[in-house]
Amino acid sequence: MALASSNLAEAKAPRASDLEIVALNGMFDERDTLGVIRYALEELLPGEPLAVVSSFGADSAVLLHHIAQVDPHKEVLFLETGKHFAETLEYVETIKQRFGLTNIRFLEPDAADLKRFDPHGTLWDTDPDSCCHIRKTEPLKGALDQYAGWITGRRRHQTQERGVLPHFELTSDVRIKVNPLAYWTYEDVKAYKAEHDLPEHPLVQHGYRSIGCAPCTSATREGEDPRAGRWRGLNKAECGIHFDFNGQIASPAAKLENRTLFKSGRFIADPFHVWGEGDAPETSAYVHVPLAIWQENRDAFIAADHPIGLLIEPGDDFEAIAEDFDRFASIAVAFPKFTDGRGYSYARLLRERYGFTGELRATGDILTDQVPFLRRCGFDALTVTNEATKKALENDALAEVSVYLQPVGSRGEAPVGTRPFLRRADQ
Amino acid sequence: MYRYDEFDAAFVRQRTEQFADQVRRRISGELNEDQFRPLRLMNGLYLQLHAYMLRVAVPYGTLSSKQLRRLAEIARKYDRGYGHFTTRQNIQFNWPRLNDVPKILAELADVEMHAIQTSGNCIRNVTTDQFAGAAADEIIDPRPIAEIIRQWSSLHPEFTFLPRKFKIAITGAPQDRAAVKFHDIGLMAKTGPNGEIGWTVYVGGGLGRTPMVAKQIRDFVDHEHLLAYLEAILRVYNRYGRRDNKYKARIKILVHEAGIDTIRDQVEEEFAAMKDGILKLPQEELDRITAYFAAPAFKEVEQKTIDLPKLKITDPAFARFIERNTHPHFRDGYVSVTVSMKPIGGTPGDATDIQMEAIADLAEKYSFDELRVSHEQNLVLPHVALDDLRAVYEGLVDIDLAEGNTGLITDIISCPGLDYCALATARSIPIAKSISQKFSAPERQEQIGDLKIKISGCINACGHHHVGHIGILGLDRKGVENYQITVGGDASEDAAVGSILGAGIAGDDVPDAIEKLVDLYIEKRESADETFIAAFRRLGEAPFKEALYGTR
Repeated sequence: MALASSNLAEAKAPRASDLEIVALNGMFDERDTLGVIRYALEELLPGEPLAVVSSFGADSAVLLHHIAQVDPHKEVLFLETGKHFAETLEYVETIKQRFGLTNIRFLEPDAADLKRFDPHGTLWDTDPDSCCHIRKTEPLKGALDQYAGWITGRRRHQTQERGVLPHFELTSDVRIKVNPLAYWTYEDVKAYKAEHDLPEHPLVQHGYRSIGCAPCTSATREGEDPRAGRWRGLNKAECGIHFDFNGQIASPAAKLENRTLFKSGRFIADPFHVWGEGDAPETSAYVHVPLAIWQENRDAFIAADHPIGLLIEPGDDFEAIAEDFDRFASIAVAFPKFTDGRGYSYARLLRERYGFTGELRATGDILTDQVPFLRRCGFDALTVTNEATKKALENDALAEVSVYLQPVGSRGEAPVGTRPFLRRADQ
Repeated sequence: MYRYDEFDAAFVRQRTEQFADQVRRRISGELNEDQFRPLRLMNGLYLQLHAYMLRVAVPYGTLSSKQLRRLAEIARKYDRGYGHFTTRQNIQFNWPRLNDVPKILAELADVEMHAIQTSGNCIRNVTTDQFAGAAADEIIDPRPIAEIIRQWSSLHPEFTFLPRKFKIAITGAPQDRAAVKFHDIGLMAKTGPNGEIGWTVYVGGGLGRTPMVAKQIRDFVDHEHLLAYLEAILRVYNRYGRRDNKYKARIKILVHEAGIDTIRDQVEEEFAAMKDGILKLPQEELDRITAYFAAPAFKEVEQKTIDLPKLKITDPAFARFIERNTHPHFRDGYVSVTVSMKPIGGTPGDATDIQMEAIADLAEKYSFDELRVSHEQNLVLPHVALDDLRAVYEGLVDIDLAEGNTGLITDIISCPGLDYCALATARSIPIAKSISQKFSAPERQEQIGDLKIKISGCINACGHHHVGHIGILGLDRKGVENYQITVGGDASEDAAVGSILGAGIAGDDVPDAIEKLVDLYIEKRESADETFIAAFRRLGEAPFKEALYGTR
């Protein structure tokens, strides 16, 4: 073998170099699907399991059928976005029974994210990228943290972007992604299904050939690309979970740059943008609206009823619109200079006096040492311009004083961190 | 005195570790000076003319013997064998090396000290009466409330990036020895209508380039609501204080420009909204903190009085020491002793390691282990029995710090000036020394009586020249040091800013100029009981001007 598995196991960080991945890709015959799966599950990274993810879509049965042959007890992750066709959920059950899979795990979106970004369940309409982000990318990311990589059912013939897909890929966060079906054509799939009498997704007979969430999937016509029914009419071909693969195949850099919002301990893609050219009260969503723009166009914003945020600059009389605070999914407080500490008072007022419970983010020039102060004043998200601070956040290198001598009364301040007489029950 | 519990200890230790990491990043080059500057400033580390300067907080001027010994040790190990006590009741080390600073901070943490918030635009060390907890005229010991304010203000998340620095002073006695009306917030104890004790709050005082006497913002606030009231003031200041001009950013300018009535309304509105919130101080907590400051176990003293007239004949130097350097104590047979850090010709506020250790020994033996730093740059042994007075005096003679000159013309306040400071425009220390030498004769000093001279080496007024009975301000005039003389300033409860007498004079001429002013006072005073400042108030500035510049 070109690559001894023990070597890989020893070299955990990084798990494999690009060169080793190239070597792996030479190991298996293009059609040796079972060989790839066996190697991936049993030998590639001993002690570090790979996940299996399936959409239970039109062609998913092929990969799952192979997995069941190698290990029917293997955990299979399914993104239960809450927006699937009823037929898809039915199909999950059918496959489970037929293939004897015993361990299908449903991954659901974070309830707080749904409440904040998609309170009406209409995010797919206003901002499908963000919808995929909170319903697919984020939940999957959480589950994949326990894995060294994952096995997918993607094939290079599915879309143009997937055209050079190999068996093994290294993602930008040094995980291994395995694509056992990489070289399968549409005809191969059709033939395999027939040969093994695999159950068909109930929607296939209605003209669906690639199936995702109900709102963003439509049937395809004769001669159309099978994935043409996904996000029809939008310049969108991927939901986001597959963006992050080897730079030679796609462009992970673009996606990484998008991860500018620091929240819940890590950088994630920012669903919001700052109000600018081309934004209009009637159509814009996921935008931080400057106070003056909100005040001028309040009625139009309210009529449009899109999820939006408010931008507060130092000196703004933001309390003038106190009655509107609960309309904002997010409030951003600007820190144009780290020395300007007005935003700390604004945050405490928003949280403590006006009871604002949405996302409260600090944005601008922030020093590492200020992050704990911001947090204590009620901020729960950051968009940082200061490079040193970004680096410290990425590396989880914030030096912090964990006890404090005064309470600030904000929601979520751990009551145990302070003096006994100042401790309060967490509200 | 306050003792750290495990909570305070963890707080200071973590902060020390945090700073050690920042220093490591600076030394490794990971941080450049621009990036390091705001970080070091939050830990009292300045870059001065010749070296880094580390300013260590002495909370409300209270020290134990152990702490003073540690300061001595640090002076010896990491500095050039001395430290400088400041007008903010802190101590500064002038020559630490950057890579030693984390070690210094760790050694300070061992004795419950730190440098947190001794610089930067945050709430600085709370200062108070150096005789707090000992003075006969005290209504209430201000230290427990000062300690509670210290805790509330330490790394306060909302108020660490204020428009400018913020200083709070507190006094529990009617005689204001803490200059509360020259602070951003001044608190003065007051007995309320039902006999309960609370605080009168002053706001917007300060020195610097725009000296202002604070205005009363509230007549009375009780202990329970004090923190909420302070937080209300700070929030109004944080939101509305000017940030466009560093020299107009202190709260005194906000109060001056908006008017005290507007500020009062804003503060009251804020206060009303949070008055009964999380900052309400429970009596049990006040009691818990107050217990730390319980009076020491005084002994039965044999000697209740001292026969001064007799002593003046038999031992005049000791008699002078008693007359000038002791302050009435609430306990019969006890006094508070001021250790004058102003030996004739010395640098005001400087103490050597040996002196610090000797004073620590005296405190341990004769003052229940307690020490204070005064804003006038002296040390204080707060509880000395009359029986022990001679032993204390002799101990001080041994280290040349027995000068009986407290409150006299040689008890000069002086900033470090151009000898150390990067902001200074002229030297201060040599001026202080030359005045001290000129008036060295004890009889002469005694003849002059109470007279406070204060010297600053630039308009930032760290030497409090505005409130000196005679103030001296060192300026730079076309590359030549030039000194402006003011008369009539007063930091006490009769707060006043001095008047500039006229054009500046050369440094060498300053001692003679002071002598002219002093001679005029002696000539014009109604009796030896009329002090310099009282005479000035009666006479006005004209005769002083004339004495200095002649008739024109």
